[in-house]
Amino acid sequence: MAEPDAVQTFEDGLAEIRGAYADGLRAAGDEPELRLINARYVGPQGDLTKLLKLMPKLPGDRRRELGQAANALKQEIQTAFDDALEGIHRGAREAELTGPALDVTLPGRWQLPGRLHPITRVRNEVLDIFVSLGFDIADGPEVELYENCFDKLGFPPDHPATDEHDTFFIQGNRSSDAESVLLRTQTSTIQIREMMKREPPLAIVSPGAVYRRDDDATHSPMFFQLEGFLVDEDVTFAELKGVLTLFLRRLFDEHIAVRFRASYFPFVEPGGEVDMSCVFCRAWEGDRARTAKCRVCKGTGWMEILGCGMIHPVVFENVGYDPEKYTGFAFGMGLDRIAMLKYGIPNIKLLYENDVRFLSQF
Amino acid sequence: MLVSFRWLQELCPVDADVAEVAHRISLAGLEVEAMDEKGNNLSGVVIAEVRAKSPHPKKDKLTLVTVFDGEDEHAVVCGAPNVPEPGGRILFARSGAVLPNGMEIAPRKVGGVESNGMICSEAELEIGAGAEGIFVVDSENAALPGVGVADALDLHDVILDIGLTPNRPDCLGHVGIAREIGVLFGVGYKARKAAGPHRTFAAGGSFDSGEPTTKLTPLWDTGSEMLDTPELPAISIEIADGDRCPRYGAALVSGVKVAPSPFWLRYRLHNLGIRALSNVVDATNLILLEWGHPIHGFDLARLGGSKVVVRLASDGEKMATLDGVERTFTTDDLLICDGEGPVAVAGVMGGLDTEIRDETKDVLIECAYFDPRSIRRTSRRLGLHTDSSHRFERGVDPEAVPRVLASAASLIAELGGGAAATTAIDRVATAYEAKSIRFRPDRASQLLGTPVSKDESLRILESLGCRIVEHNDHALTAEAPSWRPDLAREVDLIEEVARVRGYEAIPTAVPRVHPSEAGTASLLKFVDSLRDSAVASGLYEAINYGFLSVDDLRKARVSTDAVPLANPLSEERSVMRTSLLPGLAAAATRAQRHGATEVRLFELARTFHPSDEVLPREDTVLAITLAGQRSGWIGGEESFDLYDGKGVIEALVDRVFGQTPALASGEVPGFLHPKRSALVTLASRPIGFVGEVHPGVGDDLGLIGRVIYAELDVPALHALSEELGPKQARGLPKFPAVARDIAMLVRDQFSAGEIADALREASKGLAESVKLFDLYRGDQIPDGHRSLAFRVTYRDAEGTLTDKRVDKVHASIARLASDRFEATIR
Ligand SMILES: [Zn+2]
Repeated sequence: MAEPDAVQTFEDGLAEIRGAYADGLRAAGDEPELRLINARYVGPQGDLTKLLKLMPKLPGDRRRELGQAANALKQEIQTAFDDALEGIHRGAREAELTGPALDVTLPGRWQLPGRLHPITRVRNEVLDIFVSLGFDIADGPEVELYENCFDKLGFPPDHPATDEHDTFFIQGNRSSDAESVLLRTQTSTIQIREMMKREPPLAIVSPGAVYRRDDDATHSPMFFQLEGFLVDEDVTFAELKGVLTLFLRRLFDEHIAVRFRASYFPFVEPGGEVDMSCVFCRAWEGDRARTAKCRVCKGTGWMEILGCGMIHPVVFENVGYDPEKYTGFAFGMGLDRIAMLKYGIPNIKLLYENDVRFLSQF
Repeated sequence: MLVSFRWLQELCPVDADVAEVAHRISLAGLEVEAMDEKGNNLSGVVIAEVRAKSPHPKKDKLTLVTVFDGEDEHAVVCGAPNVPEPGGRILFARSGAVLPNGMEIAPRKVGGVESNGMICSEAELEIGAGAEGIFVVDSENAALPGVGVADALDLHDVILDIGLTPNRPDCLGHVGIAREIGVLFGVGYKARKAAGPHRTFAAGGSFDSGEPTTKLTPLWDTGSEMLDTPELPAISIEIADGDRCPRYGAALVSGVKVAPSPFWLRYRLHNLGIRALSNVVDATNLILLEWGHPIHGFDLARLGGSKVVVRLASDGEKMATLDGVERTFTTDDLLICDGEGPVAVAGVMGGLDTEIRDETKDVLIECAYFDPRSIRRTSRRLGLHTDSSHRFERGVDPEAVPRVLASAASLIAELGGGAAATTAIDRVATAYEAKSIRFRPDRASQLLGTPVSKDESLRILESLGCRIVEHNDHALTAEAPSWRPDLAREVDLIEEVARVRGYEAIPTAVPRVHPSEAGTASLLKFVDSLRDSAVASGLYEAINYGFLSVDDLRKARVSTDAVPLANPLSEERSVMRTSLLPGLAAAATRAQRHGATEVRLFELARTFHPSDEVLPREDTVLAITLAGQRSGWIGGEESFDLYDGKGVIEALVDRVFGQTPALASGEVPGFLHPKRSALVTLASRPIGFVGEVHPGVGDDLGLIGRVIYAELDVPALHALSEELGPKQARGLPKFPAVARDIAMLVRDQFSAGEIADALREASKGLAESVKLFDLYRGDQIPDGHRSLAFRVTYRDAEGTLTDKRVDKVHASIARLASDRFEATIR
């Protein structure tokens, strides 16, 4: 026979816990307080947990009934706790949503990427266009043989055509012998190297550093060129015009006008230079007054941008191609100049000073 | 080249304004780079008559002049010594006129006397070089006072600056450009005869002594008075080297009086950039500008032995040139000699002794054709680039010799008041042979991508002066004109057809490109991916010159075994770089000088190294420099150190390879700090190095603070990437991982990396990763020790790990740590 006061104690305990818990919940202001209250009653050392340990002392006939009551209380507490917690969360969220905003002007917290050099940026843009047209990229050495830089490209010996190529020679090589070693003055050397290596069809663009002994306000002794050429059966001047027009419109603006003028480079014939609408005064828009004031195109509305032409048969002969079978075109451009035009860089020297204040602008 | 539009219009009139002409010739290859209108900047400057003149009361070098400008009389103070007597006419800038140099004329007091206007010199009006005195109007000029100076002196012209390409020597004179205009405007160009001289004489004995001669009279268009043959020595011409000098002609003008040229001639030369000297010399320059064919005048009296010999110099032979410099020659230099020695450097510059002087009476005019290559070599060897050598080295017209002599003799005789011999010597050592060129309209059509008919081709080629030797339906054979040395093969004629028709008239088409199967070489793509990765990792790209000074290399303690330039622009840029360190260090120093707090640079470029091959070795290198402070989030700045260098390399390589490189001890370059540097390895292969710049080197390079420098060997990285191939996917783990921490007190000599590696190895394959998560030195830690805490993540690919199993392994790795590293497990 069990002691009747055990039953009594149990029942009183349940009632007391029920009341105290409800009071505690009401008093709790935030989640930690709430959890503290909860632990006080249903935690491992909680009042209810302790009370439940008295179960074995209850009389057998009441044990089941009282057990159910205790479980019911436990359920009740759990539900009340969940509700209270949710209420607190809801309140906090509501407060955040309606309260003061974060100071969004504080700095972001991430490592920013660096920047490509403006020459590399235009180089990539130019390459992307030609690669999308089916051209491959190639390169070659910066220190070259005279014959690859001049002879094989059809520069006649002792000819003033080399005057524009004031050349740096490597010590011990100052003459115009084929074997003389020099700093390449143009990326056209890659035409020779690639054609000596492969058979047509060829479609190649090759960017790179070139060197000329000019150092003044508008010349840098090292600068970047990009050479392109296409060799196949039946390549035409009309296609040269088509490719370069497309290229310039993609690079600058689809509305620009493009103009081809006759010119001379020993390794192409017919040879030409390409002018495009001035991109500074946006000459294609036809605002005459604006163009008239433009210093970049000197009011002409045109700017020179490329050299080009059909590959000279003498070049094909020099690399062992049959000039009756193959024709091709070639073109070259100054990447420095394009970078300067595209980004409004006033002075070529800025490109090579590596001033962080400049590099961080692009 | 400067060209007078007025002159062009005289030679080949076309119904087009200067802008139209400039446009058309530019498109056809004669690029007009600038246009300068003459005679329109002199408003307010008029002809005025001197009415009175008297000395200035106070200043004895000044004159008080009363001038009449067609409306009023003005009192002017003039400082020139040559004020004409009353009745003489001068150029008068009225008050309010603005001179070409920007000076505005206003009334002012000179030496206490009111001066109202200014009497001008040529130089002040920029119509000539004369600055010693005022310009006095010629009595033959009938202009009345008040007439604007531009009209009175006929100053209107437009000067075109044409950027001529070196293939077009024919356009180095006005005749050639006029010919081109005639072709482009479809009006044709007719070579006109020279105005013949008023007085001529039969050359007589001197030119009839068996020399080949040519009659000049058919080239003159007016009759003339025939004088008696003057007493002159017989002249003979000998060409000793017919390859260097295929043709040499000479004409004779006798009885000239050397004097200043008339204004029109001086003005024309002035506008075309040539200083007027005397009538005879000015005439030779005008002929050069007209025909593009340099001629030379010798004072006949000073030609020793009355003969001209064209020969190569002997080694070390010397002569003083017109510019007063004594020149020494080699056996590759062609000389014009008289009976005694050299009198001119053929095609480059005349000699001082035989130049035209004030007392010269008889002039021998040389007009020759020299081998272009020979002239160019001599000109370059002597560093003497002249109007003459410029034309000869490009190739003048060998067949123009008689015509140019006729023009020159006539002009010199007229200007000098002398008489010209009607016969000139014309010695031809090597006859000119026109080149026969086969031309196929079909080939032209094929190359240009647009139909080219035979008729159009014929018309264009003939208009250019080609002689059509034969033609059928498929081809024609043309002889190029003697003034176009650039026309030698079919493609040259195709270019002419395209050019004359206009490139604009060729349609545009899109080519069919056959993309290659191999595509771009993988190395190039790899290099680009490295560059992109460097940027993504927070670095700014620098581009330095490929050359620098030996001192730069020395200071950076990199290899001074460099490729040297033979002709550098300066000592500072005299060898090719062997390392990217000097360039990046300079950029970092520069940034630090400008107060940059955070410098993060990379350069991906080549270094150059002498090799056993003909060409030096070019290595592609990726170099990184960090200087200053890494910025944290608001105020967390800390100086860059080795771990920043390591981190950026990890990020960079990881992005390309999908795996992280490690640092390993090993031999690093001497410019790095010996205790704060390491090799970088990937898959156990060395791929570069990273470290702090050695403080001593940093001092020499002007760096402030600890600067991090790293290099990656691009070809080695590429080879590794080819070898490793693309990353292969692994299945995701099926069973959960269990993490346990282990903290230990360990002596400094053991690196965190080797401990972590050892722990992983000891885990019998269960430790998936071992990561250092805490490092502590401080109060409770004995000297020379540190506390390291690792988090070990255990996972069994085959099943769920039980606590018991993990406990056992974890205990065993703890034992290993205390055994091998004498660690105290905490
Ligand atoms: Zn513009």
